Amino acid sequence: MVQKAAAPAAAAAAADYAAEYIRRTQARKLKRSQEYTASRFAFGTSLAIALIALLLSFDLAEGTVNMISLAVAAIFLVESLFELAVSLLVKRAVIQDRELPRALRWSGLFSAVMVLNGNIFASISGFTRLQRERTIEYTLSIYMLLTTVCIVLVSSLNLFKAYVANTFLLGMYILAGLIVFDLLAMLLISRWVTRSATSRKMLPLALCLILSAATGNVFALLIGIITISKLRHKDKDINIEWIDILSRLFRNNMSIIGMFLVVFLISLSLCSFLTFDYSIAVQNNYGAMLLAPSLKYPFGTDNFGRCVFTRIVFGARISLVVGMLATATPLIVGGLLGAVAGYYSGRIENIIMRALDVLYAVPSILLAIAIVAAFGASTTNLILALSVSSIPVYARTVRATVMGLSSAEFVEAARACGARDHAIILKHILPNSMAPIIVRATMGIGTAVLSTSSMSYLGLGVEPHIPEWGNILKVGSSYLETNPYLAIFPGLAIMLIVLSFNFFGDGLRDATDPKLK
Amino acid sequence: MKRIMACILCLVMVLSLVGCDVKTRDDVEGGSGGEKLDTIPLTLLGQAANQKDLNVIRDLLTQQGFDVTINMQPDRGAYMSQIDAGNYDITFTGWASISGNGDYATRGIFHSTGDSNLGGNIHDERLDALIDEACTLVYDESVPLYAEIEQILLDEAYIAPLYVGRKVEAYNKDVVDGDTIGIYAARAEPFERYDFVDESKRDTDTLYLWQIENYYTTADPIKSNENSTYMTNFNMYTRLVNFNDQMEITTESALSRDYAVAEGNQAFYFILRDDIYFAKVENKQAVDSGERVGGEDVIFSLGRAKDKDSVPNHATYSLHENIDTIELVTDLTELENTQESSTGKTVLESLSDTLDVPVAELVGDKNSADNASGKYQVIKITAKTAFPQMLNFLGHHSGSILSKSQVEKINTYDVATYDPAVDVAYGDPATVSEGPDYDNQIYASGPYILVYKNDYELVMQKNPNYMVGTEFEPKIKNITIKMIPDKDSALSSLRSGELHVLNSLDVEKDSVVEGDAKLALKTTPGIAEKHLIFNTSEKSVCSDVNVRKAIQNAMDQSAFIAVYENSVFPATSPINTIMDTGCTFSPDPSLVQGYLKQYFDSKK
Repeated sequence: MVQKAAAPAAAAAAADYAAEYIRRTQARKLKRSQEYTASRFAFGTSLAIALIALLLSFDLAEGTVNMISLAVAAIFLVESLFELAVSLLVKRAVIQDRELPRALRWSGLFSAVMVLNGNIFASISGFTRLQRERTIEYTLSIYMLLTTVCIVLVSSLNLFKAYVANTFLLGMYILAGLIVFDLLAMLLISRWVTRSATSRKMLPLALCLILSAATGNVFALLIGIITISKLRHKDKDINIEWIDILSRLFRNNMSIIGMFLVVFLISLSLCSFLTFDYSIAVQNNYGAMLLAPSLKYPFGTDNFGRCVFTRIVFGARISLVVGMLATATPLIVGGLLGAVAGYYSGRIENIIMRALDVLYAVPSILLAIAIVAAFGASTTNLILALSVSSIPVYARTVRATVMGLSSAEFVEAARACGARDHAIILKHILPNSMAPIIVRATMGIGTAVLSTSSMSYLGLGVEPHIPEWGNILKVGSSYLETNPYLAIFPGLAIMLIVLSFNFFGDGLRDATDPKLK
Repeated sequence: MKRIMACILCLVMVLSLVGCDVKTRDDVEGGSGGEKLDTIPLTLLGQAANQKDLNVIRDLLTQQGFDVTINMQPDRGAYMSQIDAGNYDITFTGWASISGNGDYATRGIFHSTGDSNLGGNIHDERLDALIDEACTLVYDESVPLYAEIEQILLDEAYIAPLYVGRKVEAYNKDVVDGDTIGIYAARAEPFERYDFVDESKRDTDTLYLWQIENYYTTADPIKSNENSTYMTNFNMYTRLVNFNDQMEITTESALSRDYAVAEGNQAFYFILRDDIYFAKVENKQAVDSGERVGGEDVIFSLGRAKDKDSVPNHATYSLHENIDTIELVTDLTELENTQESSTGKTVLESLSDTLDVPVAELVGDKNSADNASGKYQVIKITAKTAFPQMLNFLGHHSGSILSKSQVEKINTYDVATYDPAVDVAYGDPATVSEGPDYDNQIYASGPYILVYKNDYELVMQKNPNYMVGTEFEPKIKNITIKMIPDKDSALSSLRSGELHVLNSLDVEKDSVVEGDAKLALKTTPGIAEKHLIFNTSEKSVCSDVNVRKAIQNAMDQSAFIAVYENSVFPATSPINTIMDTGCTFSPDPSLVQGYLKQYFDSKK
């Protein structure tokens, strides 16, 4: 009796195992299919945007409906449903280990043009679907193209203004030309570049791409450098380490969205020299004060009648420059101090590290406030103030890595060959300890941007009329109840850039970690 | 390939079509055509609290082609050191003519010896002579002279007027009776006016007021001329005369029943009340000290007010420097034989106008006064020169009446060797602060007395024997002033019911108050005039009158009115806020380039 009862139970358990095994294999297959993950991601984000837009379109207090917002919601809803359908079809094909049908691949074209209404996620999904075998160059070219298109879209909002910058048309023509060029580059990359080989014909294109990176499009720069390094690389069997890291980075959706936003902001800050008019950001307009968001003023106007949207665009420039310089300075100073301290143990290490410990003991924002209060509020002093307080952080990170490396075999070898100390530190140790530093710095930029804004918010940053995100937020803070958008948009901008840098840094950490290869 | 080319061509055509329709900045502003003058670099000095004004000034000047750098200092101390160092071309400042007279509106800031003449930038012999002369004349005769002073200030562009601020009171109308809320420009709000909506709560509930300064410097009114003691000291002491909400001199809630100015505008007579008694604090409760406020106290108080060496750190003696003697008049014939300055009546007739019981006898001892039986005290103040505006300065809180016996009892130290660590002066903040040193020795002649203070509030109680039975008898027993150093927090407290009256409000918060059903708002044009002062020393470009006139005309006042959402008013000078000089000024930005051209031509 007992045995009889056990048999069906064992069979059921075996069936359970089998079902579980199948489920797991399917999940693994789906996870590996970028077409599937991209379309799922596009579906989710589009739906979220649609819902937010839907919520915003109803003003319950006044019982009115915002038609523009409602239309946006409808468009995104349709697009999300389309992506849902695509993802289901892709799922079926992947599970059955079939090739994606041709029609499904070509439907990527439809998704790709969704960037025109700002749905970059659907567009990424579309471009991913279009190409069967995707190289890192092709993936980068997707983001390169999207960056340019987004810049054109954002810049073209200026058309609704009373007037545009004198160089606006020139800028727009250049950007339009770049879109065509980017599309062309994408096409050629899909033809000439495969996983195993890069055609020699790519060289001129690579050079052009590097040139086009003058607009701040880091993706174009990366494609160019990758192509050139691959062409110069003799041994095709050995992967180039940093390109490998990059490919790993691009497997992480969040970090790549972070990188995209960062590159977009860098590019926008550079392109705004041509397409945006600085006077709209700083000149008071007493006839247009405290207006609600509209097409002419997408983020409304502040208490001096300045366009908040334009101010935020120009603010990105200051935030990024200050953020990057305030990270680079302590990185170099702290890095060198840390390297010296890590390499020479003993008295030198003690002196350097204890001095830095003293600096570490002072609260960083307090130190920054003290420096600015003593030397006066200006951009240079701000960078200095933020830099000084983060020197110990970088010194500690570098010292820890250098200490580990200084007893490594290749360093011993270099020493045995009679290399001088500075050569060993600069040529052998530092390049090998860069990975943790780069990750630390990337995260650090986000913090620096936040500190810049905090200092400006406290009135210790840049001059109040200069469009800096902290300054813009400060104006908004006194209108929280009456004109909340004045604080929401700069707040969102600060949040987004800090999040982007953090996601990017996180992804970079994962990508450089040998354990997660 | 052909297809791609065709697409590109199409795109270019579409873009060109769009491009034709776009207006660039030069299309709108007419390009950079016309004669281009050199840009003049200007340093604009101001305090962080005036960020909004600085931005508008910067903007208006930038629009006219100036290259403006803002030198923004965090507080007044840092600001004044920049003024002393001369690190500016123009500076944003202002003046409130709080005692309501022309001399106060001009001497301090425009006389070359004025103590508030910023950086000593204004030194014009014509102005000095006019200010010195105008103060000796009665009001009507002085107005043309003040008009002339104003005209010189504008013509020589010593100042660039910007705007006149508003005065505002926001209050909880469910708690405080709105009719008892007045707006006083020349003095702190008189607490004795305040009343609750529910009168039965007068003795049980506390009225919560607000001040932004979270410190308190002294209860001795002549040792402070700043805001932390403004509300308390104005209400803790009575004066010979007071200001009403129209900035006129009155005897409402004052020690005088009436006053008269003798012919020659040099002697002033005040007939005193007998129903004000000093209050003191016992066991943290206000009680009647039993001591009457009288002529001896007036002589003592004004004597120390005008004497620079009566206390260490005397802050207000310059207001009373013109007082020569203060005395009690006991001879009735003097009043009968002296003519009043304007009406032709005798001083006695003029003083008796409003009395219920005619003057039968003048007494010397304050305790013998009995107004009901015709026994009065009369004080005579003689000025060094004719000075009709003396009355305005007596209404200032430095003209407060203190108890002679009490102050003399406390202030036993030697002024020359005063050591704040050892000597205890009358009104020391430590003596009224909660803690081991608490020893409240204040004798208050006003409607309220400060019982104690801590880091958060000033707790006051009404004087139990102050004009009892008159309309000026204080109504609410307990009034507490909360010290909240942040405007937004104060507004939140008002909304949550923790405060009942707010005497300052940024205009952008008006809608918040108006949107709250239990709150109400009262506003009037104030007397706080704002203007620019120029650095007239040789090292600044503003030593040239044409540059000053250019800047003066660039200050389009409508810009300030717009930024302050119509809550501020056009300005001419600090004089115009208190008297109608007939002088008008409206900056004309179209004249700026003309003045600048004259400047550059003159330099060639």
